[in-house]
Order: sequence, then C-alpha cells, then structure tokens
Amino acid sequence: MSSRSLRHRIAIVFVGLLVLVMGFVLALVHSSSARIVERETQRELAVGAKVFQRLLEQNQRQLETAAAVLSADFAFREAIATQDQPTVRSVIRNHGQRIHAQVMMVTGIDGRMIATTQRAAAAGDPFPFPDLLAQAEAAGRSAGFRQMKNGQLYQVVLVPIMAPTRIAWVAMGFHVDDRWASDMADVTGLGVHIVRAGTPGLLASSAQRAALEGGARYAHVDVPLDGGLQAVLQLPVAQVQAPFEQLQGRLLGVIGAAVLVFALGSVMLAGRIVQPLNELSAAARRIALGDYAQPLPPAKGDEIGQLAASFEQMRNGIASREERIGRLAYVDELTDLPNRTRFLEAFGRLTPGGGGAVLVVNVDRFALINNALGHLVGDRLLRAVAGQLAPLVPPGGMLARLWGDQFAFLLERADADAARTFADAVLAALRDPVTLDGQRLDIEAGVGIALYPDDGPDASTLLRRAELALAAAKRRHSGVAFASETGAEPAHEQLSLIGDMRRALAAGEFTLAYQPKLALGSGRIVAVEALLRWQHPERGSIAPARFIPFAEQTGFIREITPWVLDMAVRQAAVWHAAGLDIAVSANLSTLDLLDPYLGRRVRGLLERHAVPARRLCLEITESALMDDPTLAQAHLDELAGLGIKLSIDDYGVGQASLAYLKSLPVDELKLDRSFITAITESPRNAAIVESTIMLSHALGLTVVAEGVETQAELRWLRAHGCDIAQGYGIGRPMTAAQLQDWLAAFVPDMTV
Amino acid sequence: MPSSSPALLALLLAAAASVSAAPVEVLVQTPAGGPVADAAVIVEPLAGPVPHARAGAHAAIEQRGREFMPWMTVVQTGTSVDFPNNDTIRHHVYSFSEPKRFEIKLYAGKPGKPIVFDRPGQVDIGCNIHDWMEAHVLVVDTPYFARTGADGRATVAGVPAGRYRLRLWHPRQKAQVAPDEIDVDDAPVRLTLALDAKPREPRPHTEDDPDRY
Repeated sequence: MSSRSLRHRIAIVFVGLLVLVMGFVLALVHSSSARIVERETQRELAVGAKVFQRLLEQNQRQLETAAAVLSADFAFREAIATQDQPTVRSVIRNHGQRIHAQVMMVTGIDGRMIATTQRAAAAGDPFPFPDLLAQAEAAGRSAGFRQMKNGQLYQVVLVPIMAPTRIAWVAMGFHVDDRWASDMADVTGLGVHIVRAGTPGLLASSAQRAALEGGARYAHVDVPLDGGLQAVLQLPVAQVQAPFEQLQGRLLGVIGAAVLVFALGSVMLAGRIVQPLNELSAAARRIALGDYAQPLPPAKGDEIGQLAASFEQMRNGIASREERIGRLAYVDELTDLPNRTRFLEAFGRLTPGGGGAVLVVNVDRFALINNALGHLVGDRLLRAVAGQLAPLVPPGGMLARLWGDQFAFLLERADADAARTFADAVLAALRDPVTLDGQRLDIEAGVGIALYPDDGPDASTLLRRAELALAAAKRRHSGVAFASETGAEPAHEQLSLIGDMRRALAAGEFTLAYQPKLALGSGRIVAVEALLRWQHPERGSIAPARFIPFAEQTGFIREITPWVLDMAVRQAAVWHAAGLDIAVSANLSTLDLLDPYLGRRVRGLLERHAVPARRLCLEITESALMDDPTLAQAHLDELAGLGIKLSIDDYGVGQASLAYLKSLPVDELKLDRSFITAITESPRNAAIVESTIMLSHALGLTVVAEGVETQAELRWLRAHGCDIAQGYGIGRPMTAAQLQDWLAAFVPDMTV
Repeated sequence: MPSSSPALLALLLAAAASVSAAPVEVLVQTPAGGPVADAAVIVEPLAGPVPHARAGAHAAIEQRGREFMPWMTVVQTGTSVDFPNNDTIRHHVYSFSEPKRFEIKLYAGKPGKPIVFDRPGQVDIGCNIHDWMEAHVLVVDTPYFARTGADGRATVAGVPAGRYRLRLWHPRQKAQVAPDEIDVDDAPVRLTLALDAKPREPRPHTEDDPDRY
C-alpha cells in the first residue's frame, strides 16, 4: 500500500504484526479449542457412561440387598409359607412398599406365580421372565430391566425365599421412569434416555428427546442394557464449548484491547520518532532558505538525538562557513570593514526616495608611504585610518573600504549640508597624526561627495561620481568636493555636453596644448605632454576636469583619444621633420587601454606619419591599470613591443605598488603633483619622495615630477636625483607654435 | 458313627416282639459310585400292623456352634424332639413345613416343651437368627429306619421277617427314587442302592464375616 508518512507506516507495521500474531494465536486457540472440545466431549461421555454403569450396578446391588433383606424377613417368609393367596398378596404389597418396589411377584419353585401385585396377571400364571428365573437358579439371584405387560419399564430383582431351604422366589420391580432418568442424569451430567433398540419410543428420558437425532449439537454414547434395551447418554456439545467460547470471547476482547493499545502506542511512538524528524526536516528547509540562526531543539540521547546533534553540528558548520564566506565576500580582511560589494548591497537597501549621500575618502600619498615604508606599515596605516573613521559612522550608515586607500561612507537621509558637515568631521578626524612604531605620520585626505538621487540613480554611479569629485578635490586641494561641482552638471546639462563634445570634435573646437618636460640632468627640454583643451564657442574655455571625466564616464573618450593621438603623432612628425628632438606624451584612459585595436592604431599612426616610436610616450593612470590588469598588461606589452615609451601618470594617488608596476613594461613614473607641493614643507613627505625616487631608479624607471612650481622644488628635485620635472615653474601648456618660440627662448639653467 | 437312639430302641422292640428278625444292611451310592451320607433308609412293612412308637419316644436336635446337630434326623410319627441349645447365644428355631409348623422363640438351654412330630413328612428346620442353620427331620410311620454314615452305609437292625418296602430319602436328593420291595428272613439283607443327591454343603456363617457390616 502507498502509505503517506513514516508515522503511518510504523503504526501499520506494528499493528499489522500484532494483528497477524494475534490472528495466529486466535486460530491456534480456536483449533485447539475445537480439538479439546471434541476430546472433552468424548471424555465426559466416557466418564458419564462409566458413572452410569457403576450407578446401574450400584442400584442393582442396593435393590438386591433390599430384596434379600426383605425376603429374609421372618414374618414375610411365614406369610409366604402359609400359601394363603390373600395373605400373600397383602404381605407382598405391604413389604413392597417398605422398599419402594412398584411391582412384587412371588413365584413358586415350579415357576408358577403364587401371588402378584400386577392386575394383569394372576396366581398360577407362569412367571413372565423365565430367563431371570433361570439366571437366579444358577446364581442364587438375578436382576434386569424388563418391560411389564402394562408397557412400563422396571428394574426387576429376583431373590429366593429361604426357610431355610428355598421355598419360593420373590421378584421386585422398580419403576424406571423419567424421574429415574433425571436422577441418573443429575449424577452423570449427561442426558439419559432409555430406548428399545430399533424402536422409536422413549421408555424413560431425563428430558425431551428433541435432540436425540440432532447430531450436530449433541454428542452421545450408547450403553447396552439387558433385554434388548439400551441407554442413550447425551451431552450437549454447547455445554462443553461454553467455557472455550467464553475464553475465546475474552481473548478476542483482550486482542481488541491490545490492538487498540498497540495502535495508540505505536502512533505515539511513531509520533515521538517522527516529530524530531519533522523538526529536523523543518530545520533543513530553514537552512536551505539560508536561515541558520535558529538552533535545533535540544537533542535526546537516542539515535534521532544523535542525528539531531549531527544536524546541529552541520548547521553550525554551515552557519560558520556561511559567515566566513560572507565575511570573505562582504568584509575587507585587512580592516574588518564592509567591502565594496557589501557597500553596494547596503545601498540597495536604502529607503527609496529617502535620499542619502556617498562619501569617498582617500588618503593622500598612500602609495608613496606604502612603497617607502613597506606593505606592513601601509597595511597598519590603513587599519589605523579605518579605526579613526569607524566611530564616525552614524546610525543607519556604513563605512566600507572600496580598494587600496579608498574608503566610502554611506549616509542615509543626508542632504548636501549634512554631507559637508560629515566630510569636515572626517577630515578633522584624519588630521590627528597616526603613530606607527613610534613614528608620527601626518595624514591628509580628500573627500568626494555624491548625493542620492541627485548625482546618480545607483550605487556604482554614485561611487564613480564621488571618486571623480574626490579627484577634483585633490586637484583643487580643497579637501572636499561635491560631484555636482565637478563633472557633474545636472543631467540635462550632461546630455547637452555629450552633444557638445560630438559637435566640438567635428567642429575642431578641441585643441592640444603642450607642456614641456625638463630633463634635470641635462637641463634640456626632452619632451612635452599633450593636453586636451576645449574652446567652447559660447562658454569659452572649459576646464578638462569638467569634461574629461564625463567623457570617460560616457565612453565618448574612445572617440576623443584617437583624435588626440592623431594630432600628437602629427605634431611629433612635424617636430621630427624640423629636427627637434622632443618626444610627445599623450594620456590614455581606462577605456582606451582596454581597446583591442589600440596597438594596431598606434602603429598605423606612427607608420603613416613616419615617426619613430620612441618619440611617442603614452601616459596611463594607476586606476586605469587596475580595472583589468591582465588585459591592460597584454596591451601594454603590445605597445612596448612597438618601442613606445610608457609612463604611469599620477603615481601615488592610487594604490599600485612599485613591484607591480615593475612587472609592466613601463619606462617612466610620474609622481603626483600633491607630493611635489609638499616636499619643501614636510621633511616626512620629502623622505617619501626621496625613497620613491631611489626605488624607481633601482627598478630602472625614469622619475618625472609633476606640478613643479617653484625654483626651490626644482632645486630639491635635482638635488635628489629626480630625472624630469614638469610644471608651471618650468613652462605652462601652450600651443605647438608657442612652444616652438618658447623653446627657442629657453635657456637651460643648470644653476637653479 | 454314632448310634441313633430310636434305631436302638426299634431294634430292642423288634427283638422283643419277634423271634425271627434280621438286619437290613444298605450301601447308598451316587450314580457315580460315591457314598451318600445322611441318607435315610426307611423300611416299611407292606402288610400287618405297623408298630406305633411307644409313648415318650424321644429325639434331640441340639444347637452347637451355631449349627443344628444332627443335620438330618429320621423319627417315627409321634416322636417328641428336644432342641437343646448348647450355645451361649439364643436361637429362634422354626419350621414352616406342612407336616409340622412350629416356632421356639429366642431361648437358651433346653426349651420347656419338646416338639412332637405327629404327622409323617419332611420338616425343614431353620433358625431365624442364623440363616445358615439348617436341619431336616423326616417323620415316618415305621420304626425301621436308619441313616447312612459317611461311608454311605446304614444298617436297619431287628427287622422282623416279612415283606417290606424299602425307601431312600435325602434332603438334597434330586429326584424321588422308586422304593424297593424286600423280604426279610433270618439272614441279613444286604443291598446296594443308588441315590442321586448332592452332599450336604455347610453354608457359611455369614454372621462371622467381618466384612459384612
């Protein structure tokens, strides 16, 4: 059968087995009972028959004794001896009554009756039972069952009358009637019927003979009597069966009760077995749904308990592994802060329409510190920064480490003012110097703020905007910048910017400006950096920081960069033709670096304009490398294979290590302007820059200092072995024509 | 064998009445040839007067050891018989026989009056207290009779010469035997006769049966 549940199956098996066993028992008892009833019936009949026969013998002996005593009575004998008919009849009546004989007959030695109490017979008639007389003559006395002429059955006893020799016989008849049969029945416990064999009538019966022929309900045994008579002894089978039927009835009751008890018991037992299983399976479903928190009910000592305990262990194991995986997935291992993924998820749980702010915090010059003092110090510095930032997290907010030294706050329901206040608090907190191994480290940081939903609809957009704002803040040295201030016109303005850029590219509104790069060793201008400028017909000159991040963000940079490269290579060709030994640098964005046709296009340009590869230098930011390091390396290898110089731009802002950069085919490192600005003010910064220069040289890299503005800086850089300097202090970006004049007027000043 | 008093008397009478007398010696045998004890041999004259028993003719059947002794007695008609009780217990002697009905109720010692057997015939005597006790008296009209001993022999002495009918009788005889006629002279008559009778069977003293009660 298809059973529904374990509980049912257990109950069915238990009860089924019990019913089976009990059925066997019942069948056994039934068949045994039937056998026992059969045997008992036969036994009772046999015993009854024996008792009946003994009773008959005993009766007969009693009757004989009574008859003998009577026949020895002197007066009786005397009366008989008188041979006086009336006297003899009277005396036999009288003495017959003494022993309750219903029939008395006195017979002479010659076999003829002297007197009788029977009306039908008379004196002188022959004795009606000559066989009895013959037996008596042989044995002294005789007895037997005889039917008289009146049809009645008698037990007849024949004894002699001695005076002192035998003078006569006296026969005494005792009525064998229904009462006699009933008395016999009482003693034997059987129904007693006397019949003449072969005739239907009952001569005496202890009951109605209704059942004599009904063989099924009665068992019987025949006891032969003399004179062609027989006693039929009957035993109602039901009488023997009754105790067994009662027994079977009780057994049935017991079995019924047992089955009931068993059913209840097994259902309860099954319940006790199944309930923990159900709880386990419910727990398993919870675990499947990812809810590991709810512990299992306390386990009992049995096997299910052990299973539950194992299950509990499994749950704990899964929970802890899940937690570890969760940590790995969501927690930054270095600082124990949430990671970028966790941050994005947390943003997803922001109350829709509730507003909020994303703040990206970046430690200034971290890469320099990391390279100069080692990774361990860098890591500890990051942990210290995390420790300083963590207490600032407001309720409902979050602090995450995005990557490197980039941290981000998520502030719920914060407007621009609240975000500004919070950013100030962050900068104030970071102004406390950090002490590592007894060394004080002055930390400065920038904060970029993007507001939700004003600056973007999702977390990644807001982060990017905030990072752009951060970059702007660093460039402006303003500490804090809003995304809306940087590339972040309102959406409609941005859309118009795209259109403007497209138009500008076609209309030739973009131009390149070239800023000279001074080789400190030779005092010569050895290269220029090509910088994009946009002269808007209505808005006038648009700062690169306002449209380049936007172009990168929208992908439009992929249309601008080829134009820039084309222009730069053309210019390089012009200068090359003019005999000027000047290399031209151009900037590549992240998207450019991932362009699979980059290498082919650059080679085509160089070949078309017949420019030696070494006259072209491509500058890449650290962050551009980090987006897809593998692909970036492949493309850099391709470019390097052409013989083009490669330079890392804005080094020190990101978190790329020197060791990593060394694995790239890079020739040059451009220190971020923020380091240069600080060198003459902070000995610590100076030490970092110095060690960076030394390390770079050790790795075979040319070091370029950006943002050199003062002669003091220039002197310091030359003194400390920096290879190339760039900045307003040397020359501003200018058009190609202006640059030619500027070069003509340039006097290398080795004294500075 | 003990000599019977009446027989002796008869012998004396015969001797006195007639000069010529002779004994009749009879051997009674069963058909099988065994001796028949306690058989009566009766010699009755066929002619002439039968001598009466003298007045005061007497016999006795005593009770000893709860038995009648003798078991069988032959007397001439008119003989009085005493029933002396030599037991320490009493007896109740009776007879329902036709020739002489009598009853001597519980008595000890010698009863006051003897019983006179005045009619010929067989008288069976019993004791109402002791059912096994049994005695038989044959009353005859002749003075000539005898009883066989254990050897089956009996001698009727002093039978005067003449013609006689000789009869045999036994209490347990199976059939009446036809009488013989004999002539008695001077010489003794010797006869061997057959009588089919069962011997006396002493009946058990049921009173002594310890299991009876």
